[in-house]
Amino acid sequence: MVTIYIDGVGYEVPAGTNLVDVAKFYADNDIPVFCYHPKMAPVGMCRMCLVEMGSVEKDKESGTVLLDEQGSPKIRWMPKMQTACTQTVYDGLAIRTNTQQVTEAREDIVEFLLTSHPLDCPICDKGGECPLQNLTMRHGPGVSVFYFEDKMHLAKHVPLGELIYLDRERCIQCARCIRFSDELAGDDVLAFHERGRALQIVTVSDPPFDSKFSGNTTDICPVGALTTADFRFGARPWELKEVPSIDPYGPEGANISLSTRLDRDSGGGIIIKRVMPRQNEHVNEIWISDKTRFGHHHTRHIDRLVTPLHREKNTLIETTWDKAFKQIIDKLKGATSVGAIAGPGLSNEDLWELRQLVLAVGGSEKSLGIWPATMSGGEVVKQVGIAKGSNFNTMGKGTVIVLVATDLEEEAPIWWLRAKAARDRGATVVVLNGRPTKMDRYAKFSLRHEYGDAVGAINSLTAHIVNGNHHKADRAEGFAELQKALKKVKADDRYAAAAEAIAGADNVVVFCGAEGVTLAQHAELMQACANVLILTGHVGRTNNGLIPVWPGANTQGAIDLGYTAEATAELLQNPPAVLIVAGCNPVGEDIAAANLRNADFVIVTSQFDTATTAIADVVLPQQSFAEREGTFTSGERRVQRFYAAQGVIGESFPDWKIFAQVRHAIDKSTAKVSAGAVMAEITKSVAAYSAMGYKNLAQVERQFPDVGGTDQYYGGTAYQNTGGIGVQWPVSAENAEAKLNVVPVSSEKSKAKGLLVVPTTLLYDRGMLFVRSEIMSLRIPPAHANFSPADAQKLKLQDGDMVEINLEGASLTVQIIVNETIPAGVITLPKCLSDQPGPFAPMVAGSIEKVAQALAATGD
Amino acid sequence: MLAEKYAERIQKIFSKYPDKRSAVMPLLYVAQEEFGWVSPEAIEEVAVLCEIDPTQVKSIAGFYTMYSEKPKGKYWLQVCTDFPCALRGADQFHQALLDHLGIEEGGTTEDGLFTVEHVMCLAACDKAPMLQCNFHYVENLDMDKMKALLDQWRADAKDSAAD
Repeated sequence: MVTIYIDGVGYEVPAGTNLVDVAKFYADNDIPVFCYHPKMAPVGMCRMCLVEMGSVEKDKESGTVLLDEQGSPKIRWMPKMQTACTQTVYDGLAIRTNTQQVTEAREDIVEFLLTSHPLDCPICDKGGECPLQNLTMRHGPGVSVFYFEDKMHLAKHVPLGELIYLDRERCIQCARCIRFSDELAGDDVLAFHERGRALQIVTVSDPPFDSKFSGNTTDICPVGALTTADFRFGARPWELKEVPSIDPYGPEGANISLSTRLDRDSGGGIIIKRVMPRQNEHVNEIWISDKTRFGHHHTRHIDRLVTPLHREKNTLIETTWDKAFKQIIDKLKGATSVGAIAGPGLSNEDLWELRQLVLAVGGSEKSLGIWPATMSGGEVVKQVGIAKGSNFNTMGKGTVIVLVATDLEEEAPIWWLRAKAARDRGATVVVLNGRPTKMDRYAKFSLRHEYGDAVGAINSLTAHIVNGNHHKADRAEGFAELQKALKKVKADDRYAAAAEAIAGADNVVVFCGAEGVTLAQHAELMQACANVLILTGHVGRTNNGLIPVWPGANTQGAIDLGYTAEATAELLQNPPAVLIVAGCNPVGEDIAAANLRNADFVIVTSQFDTATTAIADVVLPQQSFAEREGTFTSGERRVQRFYAAQGVIGESFPDWKIFAQVRHAIDKSTAKVSAGAVMAEITKSVAAYSAMGYKNLAQVERQFPDVGGTDQYYGGTAYQNTGGIGVQWPVSAENAEAKLNVVPVSSEKSKAKGLLVVPTTLLYDRGMLFVRSEIMSLRIPPAHANFSPADAQKLKLQDGDMVEINLEGASLTVQIIVNETIPAGVITLPKCLSDQPGPFAPMVAGSIEKVAQALAATGD
Repeated sequence: MLAEKYAERIQKIFSKYPDKRSAVMPLLYVAQEEFGWVSPEAIEEVAVLCEIDPTQVKSIAGFYTMYSEKPKGKYWLQVCTDFPCALRGADQFHQALLDHLGIEEGGTTEDGLFTVEHVMCLAACDKAPMLQCNFHYVENLDMDKMKALLDQWRADAKDSAAD
């Protein structure tokens, strides 16, 4: 801590922090800024933050602060004002912010910015939450020496792609958007063009403004220059009610705010007008991906199911809840076997009630499956998951971030953003995958392994660590056995340097995905990652541990409540007599789910008609995340609340309520009346969730830097976190006494000959919810497969050709892209891009036939 | 196209810099020489060569006035009309030149040969009125000299077209 003086008052503040942030947080002194943003490096362009600056005089020998006659420290002032935003605090720094000189400087800058700013606040989307408006009210001169008629008139509707619009007149050239895209998102797709008054923001990337984070630029824009196509002219900020919520798509648990109002588009009901980030410095800071921001349209889509359906003479027809319930209860009571597959968007409350129902009618934990069923290793997470209190904000030099079998930007964009920021602060990135991904640009070690041999790759790391005697085996249970097994591992030399970096690091975080890995291999892979972390002592401490890149927003919650992917695999193999599929579409997505048709009676809760509702006997309309309360558990095991935001669509109900009612009818248990009551039961029954009562989860704290304050210097009325920052549950490694299991793992590489089809995950896919947001339709690529140039040549295929890929029991028609980053012998096939189900696990292609020629030879 | 046509020259440019993106400005000159202006296709090509996003290349082409993002005549005449030149009649000379060619400021003659625009100080105040033609200085001008020069350039253009 250092002492600084603001307007004559001394404050103790953390060393090395930014003066503007510190003045705001510790002294409630809002130094006005336009170009500065606490999440980006300062540039000092706008000059709004000019203050008088100086240093206290100290006695040269003793170092004590010299005092003047009044007893205050003597200060040597600089002759001219300085920009506060470019100043890092140091001991003895002094500033004056309330002098005439400073006041006049602020007035002058505002007056200057307004010389050519249009007076269209009444129709501007930013009006009401606009930093320029607010700072003009507070610091503007009120009159101008410039002529109003002299204003420059420029283009007002310049599309930067189909998602973001630029109003050139309103732009004050602060470059926040450019700096965000360039520095934080790593997408150099925005830039200034021309100079002086002709300066404007341009993008010529393909597609325009090609970034998965483009919406964030509209939040940080201090004026109304950048607006989203989604919200443009949609509502005024003061009409909006902000409802705290959680991203329903990704495992990061991004905190969002649903801006809602009564709207004529819903016949006067409450609907979501926009999705904004909500500040949570532990989770997503103030960023969300465009999927989160623009993917909310499913909540009120015209195709939402509004009544229960049941099967009569082979077609699904509308029915009442009473009749549907009666059918379900009759079937469940007499069922010989029961199983459930739970979707990625079910809340913990839904999952709990579904579990209780299945157990009540004779099912076991072995019949509780998760969807998508691609990842395993819940037990490993319980031991060595990332330690409670970890925060990417505090990672930098000394931290090693390892990415295993994941394309992190596509699978968990917020983690990607934060891991990259940590890397920019000095962290080392190690990427292990079968192909290069965007993170490889920032990696110190880009390690390629053969698809199917991810476990072997990690074993190589472990072998290097043990052979080099870098390991600490004091907490490792079963080390002798592992050591014995490692003797047989041929440590690949390419991994030596990375192994050394991991062993020597202060902190290590491992992201483990499942690209190119079968479910059986994935359990081994998670354990392999755990072995590395345990043997190098990178567990149980802040900023250390394993983060599984789960495929869904609440996969972690499902695993915590006893659901597994292994159970799903079993259910797909041997469908039970009565099957409940809640909030997912296995039949439409995965060729392995075709067998579900063989279940005698299928109950599906869904928001939409899907290939899975098509095989159902009863379909129940499910509420979306926006219509109800609940909790999600993120991949960092943070349990977070979301709140009911919009009006209920049709006769839909939340899943927990449906399952609780059914169980009540079967075993006369008391049906819970609120999601909070369900959570109260979970806190009593699940040890890890004992602290997850709704009251705890709603706790907020003041966050640094303060972005969501009422002053709104950083734009937006939605940043403030009023809904709770969530609670993480601790892993066993955090107990220093606990022994941790290291287990020898080996992967059986597939011996089958032929081209290996590797399913990959894209952020923008045709998942049943996301595809309803038509605004994103241009960003979802057509169904395609990436071929290596060598294989394309061998098969006499060209970029753009349509091929039929025949797999065991299914065939898929896709366009091919010849991509030199794909290794020979491999085809990567993004999941969920077509109406046909595709493979979710890597498998060897039976045959590949060309069905149509490329229309025109494309470039590259 | 540039990559094949000027392979050797581009290689030489790259060899001067520690990384590829540093070569963007000299490569833009190569493109401008080839096409007469920095076209969107040229920007795309330079971006591929330098391995950066085309947006960055466009930004650079836009910032510096010696790159032109609009098609220009074969002879790009930039008349200095800054203060010292103006004292020696540069404004009148500039206007006379425009009138003679029958074009507006910044315009191009119909035959596609001449583009005239006025620019800020070219640091040849003692030899005003002056202009630069495709970045080469032509000094101590008056309209008689200018007409002779224009005729000569027309003839040159005809010759090179006949070749």
